[in-house]
Amino acid sequence: MTMIKTRGLTKNFLSYKKSPGFMGSIKALYKRDYITKTAVNSFDLEIQKGEIVGLLGPNGAGKTTLMKMLTGIIVPSSGEILVAGSVPADRNKEFRKRIALVMGQKSQLWWDIPAMDSFLLLQKFYEVSDSDFKERIEEMSTLLDVKDLLHVHVRKLSLGERMKMELMASLLHNPEVIFLDEPTIGLDLVAQENIRYFIKEFHRKNNTTIILTSHYMADVHALCKRLVLILQGKKGFDGPIEEFEQILGREKSVSFSFSETIEDHTHFFENWSPEWNQSFTKVDLRLPQEDLRDIGKTVLEKFPVIEFNTEKMPIERVMKTLMEKPELALGENH
Amino acid sequence: MEKIINTLQRSLPKWWQTIKISWSNYTAYRLNFFLQIIGPALVFFFVKYNLWTSVYNGDPELVIKGYNLDQMITYHIWSMVVGLLAQGMSALNLAEDIRMGRISSYLIYPMNFWEYHTAGFIAFETLQTFISILTIIVISLFGLLPGLTLSALFYGFTYCIYVSLFWFVLQYLTGIIGFWLEETWILRVILSILTAFLSGAIIPLELYPEWLVNLLNYTPFPYLTYYPIKIFMGEIGFFTKGYMILGFWMVVLLIVNKIIWKKGIRMYTAAGM
Amino acid sequence: MSSIKHYLSVYKKFIETSFSVQLSFRTSFALLIFMDLFFYISTLATVDFIYDHVAVIGPWEKNKLMFFISFMLCVDHLHMTLLSESFWVLSRQIRTGELDFILLKPVHSIFTIFFRYIRPSSLTNTIAAWGFLIYFGSKVPLTTTAWLILPILLIMAFILLAIIEIIISTAMFWLTEGLGINFLRMQIQSLARWPDYIYKVLARRLFTVLMPILLIGSAPVRFMLDLKSWDYIAGMIAAIFVFGFLMFKIWSRALIRYESASS
Repeated sequence: MTMIKTRGLTKNFLSYKKSPGFMGSIKALYKRDYITKTAVNSFDLEIQKGEIVGLLGPNGAGKTTLMKMLTGIIVPSSGEILVAGSVPADRNKEFRKRIALVMGQKSQLWWDIPAMDSFLLLQKFYEVSDSDFKERIEEMSTLLDVKDLLHVHVRKLSLGERMKMELMASLLHNPEVIFLDEPTIGLDLVAQENIRYFIKEFHRKNNTTIILTSHYMADVHALCKRLVLILQGKKGFDGPIEEFEQILGREKSVSFSFSETIEDHTHFFENWSPEWNQSFTKVDLRLPQEDLRDIGKTVLEKFPVIEFNTEKMPIERVMKTLMEKPELALGENH
Repeated sequence: MEKIINTLQRSLPKWWQTIKISWSNYTAYRLNFFLQIIGPALVFFFVKYNLWTSVYNGDPELVIKGYNLDQMITYHIWSMVVGLLAQGMSALNLAEDIRMGRISSYLIYPMNFWEYHTAGFIAFETLQTFISILTIIVISLFGLLPGLTLSALFYGFTYCIYVSLFWFVLQYLTGIIGFWLEETWILRVILSILTAFLSGAIIPLELYPEWLVNLLNYTPFPYLTYYPIKIFMGEIGFFTKGYMILGFWMVVLLIVNKIIWKKGIRMYTAAGM
Repeated sequence: MSSIKHYLSVYKKFIETSFSVQLSFRTSFALLIFMDLFFYISTLATVDFIYDHVAVIGPWEKNKLMFFISFMLCVDHLHMTLLSESFWVLSRQIRTGELDFILLKPVHSIFTIFFRYIRPSSLTNTIAAWGFLIYFGSKVPLTTTAWLILPILLIMAFILLAIIEIIISTAMFWLTEGLGINFLRMQIQSLARWPDYIYKVLARRLFTVLMPILLIGSAPVRFMLDLKSWDYIAGMIAAIFVFGFLMFKIWSRALIRYESASS
């Protein structure tokens, strides 16, 4: 069952340039040079029920704008969207009960009162029955380990604790589609892991459709089977996570550390774009996947290797390369 | 001497830059900017003009406490100009800075909190002066300001800018109370309601009961609106008394501000917010 | 019906949370009471001072105008208690993008935006505002019928004011910055604080028909003073419906305009 479908989705924003100083300020009062910025450009997307999709892209690529259009917060300039059978921009009540948005950088909790008071208000908003409400609060607060914090003023909570409360607030009405916009931003490693685990559990139980953006590739690795890449408002990639790793070719990154300086560092390694450290005791190599075994064996035999490892998160390297050279994903004519 | 010049050379560029940024900030949303100018003018032309025409019942001969209709209208025009010049709201961001916990950045920047906001005030005041001159020109074109003299205008502007400085110091105080009080805007609204009523901005003080006027003369209020209007109307020349009285209050306020700031910042850093 | 129940249950929570927030800021709570009181007293005193020097303003002698002013203060009091904070919050919500979360809720956004913040402290001033109204009403003096319909007219006046102000504040969606609009809104409010007869023909027509703020006070007070002036009340009811309809139309246009702050 298709949960999300967009065709030719586009959003333009208008802004203006201004010169500095008093006269510049006065001049800007009567004359302005407007610039149109296309945040999302002709975007097609289709997501099935129960999928967890990672939406990747550098800052300003259009991820958040896309999310806001999918949730009906902003209205597209052109194109079509259908989420859970509704057009988000119509903002009908049933649609809004079926979705949730969590933004790591913004808070929907009331700052000056305990989180529980906000939850109670949300219960009324979404018309959640008392029994469901109690059950969900109990379940989620146990899973997130925040039972003791429900009655503490939100402004007294740490960032990680607050984020957990934000998640609870957004999921109280048991939405069918969840949009997570950088839910782990700024959190420590343990809190990040907690939240990942929680999302995973929630998904396992409810078969929720989840769209996730994050700059932490660990989030993406842990949760998503499918990735969508957005670069300069356009779709750069859409497919399984394993294929994403191979965008830049079917090569593996392997690093070797040696017990002593390797004198003959040019000759043997030069075919595999080596990158040495300063003392020539460590090298990163890019090896063709099919030759990995043979070359690895030879290196181990010929050199005093004390440690070697293959890359843990290839998507991180792929992302970095694509941010520097977006044309690799978008094609030369951009 | 050399030391002073040196300090000036180092600090002037940063003041100038801050003033420029403030100009951009004030004019960034232009309709917003225009509305703040149009607002008081709208009230003047619709409410005050009509109200007083109604009070005087259109009778040009009628004199109330020394004002005929034309003089009453002139009084209210100057009241609007004084409001623009002398009672600005440049302290708005100041309170916000404290409330949102942005103080920390000033503890790191080479520009102090008061320096930054005083630069903002200077930027605001230049813009307001510009707007006031425009307003006066437009109103004069309507022929509503007869007998305007350059010397009255000069004395009026000088005194108003002095009043605005007093007002800024007072607003500064309401802002830094934000260390303790969550919502300082209430203080500023109370202050502006009281000032509008007690300074003669709504109706000339001559119309007030005598006992109240006698009482008010012991406060700074009449010196904020009533007397500057009289200066613009050419009834008072260089207003030594006003400068002295407001000067006295300013010194008091500056000392209070300094003490409050010290206490506030100590509490702030101690709490490690 | 169930929809009304839904909204009422949400509103009950709004009131509860507003109380618990405000009571934790006790100094602000007390200062707000003073703020309103100063405003009432200075407004009434100004009119009182003018009447020290003239016998009538337009067709009205002192007690009638004082009754009018107190009626507007009561409207203002309702506005202060139920609505006014929201306009300032809206300006912030648009600028910072906090509005995002409100738009996601399955409740009409006008309701969530404008009725979420209640000022319990202003409730305390009910005694003062109504005290003035009843005092000057008895000095006019009002007929029994007028006394009976007074509360209904007051609520109608408040509704009309709310509709006009919400329409004005939608401009914030186009301007992004709400400060100027809020100032304009307050200036327009102050136009309505005087009876319609002080305005010249053109201004009076403009503010009775195109932007019917003069109907807020003048229609009900004129009707109470002279129960035969039905046309005023008919005009007021018509304005509530027409402008109420317009409000919803303009609001949905404004939401299309909303760009949301980038995070």
